[in-house]
Amino acid sequence: MEYDENGVSIVPFEFKKEIFEEAKKDFRYEEYVRGCLNCGVCTGGCPPHRFFDFSPRIVLQKMKSKDPELIWTMMDEYVWACFQCFTCAMICPFLNSPGGIIAILREIAVRRGFESAKKVLKPYSRVLLKLTAYGNQLSPDMIQPDFFPDWGPHIGYASTDLAVKRKAIPMPTLQVTNLAWDVAPETMKELYDIFDEAGVFKIIEAVDPSLYEIIQDIVDDVRSS
Amino acid sequence: MAENILVIGGGPAGLNAATMLSELGVKVTLAERDLFLGGNPKKFKYKFLFPDMQPADNVVGELIKKAETSSNIKVYLSSEISDFKENGKKFDAQIKSPDGNEIKTFDSVIVATGFEHFDPARDAKYSYQLFDDVIDIKDLERMMGEGNFARPSNGQPPKNVAFILCVGSRDRHVGNQYCSRVCCTVSVKQAIELREHFPDCEVYIFYMDIRTYGFFEDLYWQAMEEHDVQIVKGRVAEITSGPDNTVICKGEDTLLRGPFEIPFDMVVLASGMEGGPQSSEMAKKLGLELDEHGFLKPQNVTLALFKSNKEGIFLAGACTGPKAISDSIIEGGAAAMNAYIYAVRNH
Ligand SMILES: Cc1cc2nc3c(=O)[nH]c(=O)nc-3n(C[C@H](O)[C@H](O)[C@H](O)COP(=O)(O)OP(=O)(O)OC[C@H]3O[C@@H](n4cnc5c(N)ncnc54)[C@H](O)[C@@H]3O)c2cc1C
Ligand code: SF4
Ligand code: SF4
Ligand code: SF4
Repeated sequence: MEYDENGVSIVPFEFKKEIFEEAKKDFRYEEYVRGCLNCGVCTGGCPPHRFFDFSPRIVLQKMKSKDPELIWTMMDEYVWACFQCFTCAMICPFLNSPGGIIAILREIAVRRGFESAKKVLKPYSRVLLKLTAYGNQLSPDMIQPDFFPDWGPHIGYASTDLAVKRKAIPMPTLQVTNLAWDVAPETMKELYDIFDEAGVFKIIEAVDPSLYEIIQDIVDDVRSS
Repeated sequence: MAENILVIGGGPAGLNAATMLSELGVKVTLAERDLFLGGNPKKFKYKFLFPDMQPADNVVGELIKKAETSSNIKVYLSSEISDFKENGKKFDAQIKSPDGNEIKTFDSVIVATGFEHFDPARDAKYSYQLFDDVIDIKDLERMMGEGNFARPSNGQPPKNVAFILCVGSRDRHVGNQYCSRVCCTVSVKQAIELREHFPDCEVYIFYMDIRTYGFFEDLYWQAMEEHDVQIVKGRVAEITSGPDNTVICKGEDTLLRGPFEIPFDMVVLASGMEGGPQSSEMAKKLGLELDEHGFLKPQNVTLALFKSNKEGIFLAGACTGPKAISDSIIEGGAAAMNAYIYAVRNH
């Protein structure tokens, strides 16, 4: 790594070019980046634009510039300001999709384990664990008043006596509390094959190595059972 | 015996074509679908025309008077071409009007069926028809023509007004990729008229590009220098209701302010021009081609804008694309000359 006189790392131009080439190679790129009138209607409709220095018009203009330096400036915190609501794509007169470009750039950041991606994904490690190891996301035992104060006044009651409450549900697969539903080992194995093929495990290894190890332990257990 | 030529559509283009032919001694049948002649300028009571603010009556009124007083022109109002057939090099057309059906043979035909205004209700983000104070340029033109220049919601003078350009034009979502050419100049003209009528009213124009082409640019400069019209670069993304009976325009000022949400007393949408149902109707009935924008397709856009793909059928005015009245009138003359040559050769 090279550093400037202030000790800030210098990213070589070649690397920035590589990132742009990777985005351009994405099969969605041509569909998402067309002409641009610089009209700002996407930005006018973009919810985060009201709160952050973030603008889908700038995203599209920077892509159209084909300047790796400009595109690189979005790879850190910038791409994470988008809500992925796709209002921009709904109203752009050219049918561009700035939100879609953000998705492409984020995927690059995650695949390559950029610091910004690690930081953003950290709070989601519990969700990632459940999702990749068991194929479901929220489980009843994750419902705790401290985590979900916005769920209303009955969240306290909802989080007690989980086992009994779950028994009241007639579906046999729903009578577990550490998962949203009980997943058959055969299903899990198929799921792991899909994640392997799609490179999902590799991505997790890049952004969160310790989480990756926990997941792999579970995967190995299930696969050898 | 004199030549017989059919002119379909009695707007500026058709009126001028009919009048010029009549002066050559041709017997002209002028079929107009509405109850009156004059086309869109008459229908929406345009009062003053760009570029020089001359009364529309001096132009359109004059054309109507000439057509109505010519003994060579037979006008059919509230009429339609209910049947159309080629007959060798000539054409048999049935004209259906309140007086009944008439079949006539013509030596040549001029189509001058004009345009329709884009209906802004088709683009939901502008809330047209949802809020009384959101109108469009044709509504404003008519309000001014009727001398009824006030906020539709309460009849009061507006304190501030926003014009939004390119409504229904240059937008793949509504299916119109082209520029409607006149709406920038119409908006600038109306902004000046508003400022003159209500000197205390602030007027904003939200634009992507200002296309006051050629000498129309003079109006744009006047709007800024003499009338203090605010020109803001950015398209409005959403119109919602605001406090005190206002409507809020939300968008991005791409050069200066960044995000904005401004309450206005009135919003005027610069809706564009479309080929309208009459273009496809003419294409079907007369065997003409439509272009990819929904207007009638000329044989050659540079060399022969006034010729259709069919020998003996000619085109004039806004039926081949958005344009100003002067262009429509000129094309009426060009189509008349070409229709006359064809008629004389085959008469
Ligand atoms: C809001 C607005 C303001 C404008 N202001 C100006 C201005 O200030 N100055 C300027 O130069 N230009 C102006 N224009 C442009 C101007 O309106 C057009 O250039 C002009 O009207 C075109 O003339 P036309 O005869 O081709 O078509 P039209 O005016 O559309 O006339 C077509 C005629 O054909 C008739 N017709 C249609 N279908 C049929 C059918 N099937 N059978 C029989 N008849 C039919 C219609 O009823 C109509 O009478 C303005 C345009 C807009 C939208
Ligand atoms: S998808 Fe992202 S860029 Fe597009 S409007 Fe939503 S938040 Fe803004
Ligand atoms: S809405 Fe589309 S055309 Fe307009 S600035 Fe955004 S990306 Fe460009
Ligand atoms: S003339 Fe102006 S308002 Fe009309 S479509 Fe063209 S750029 Fe837009």
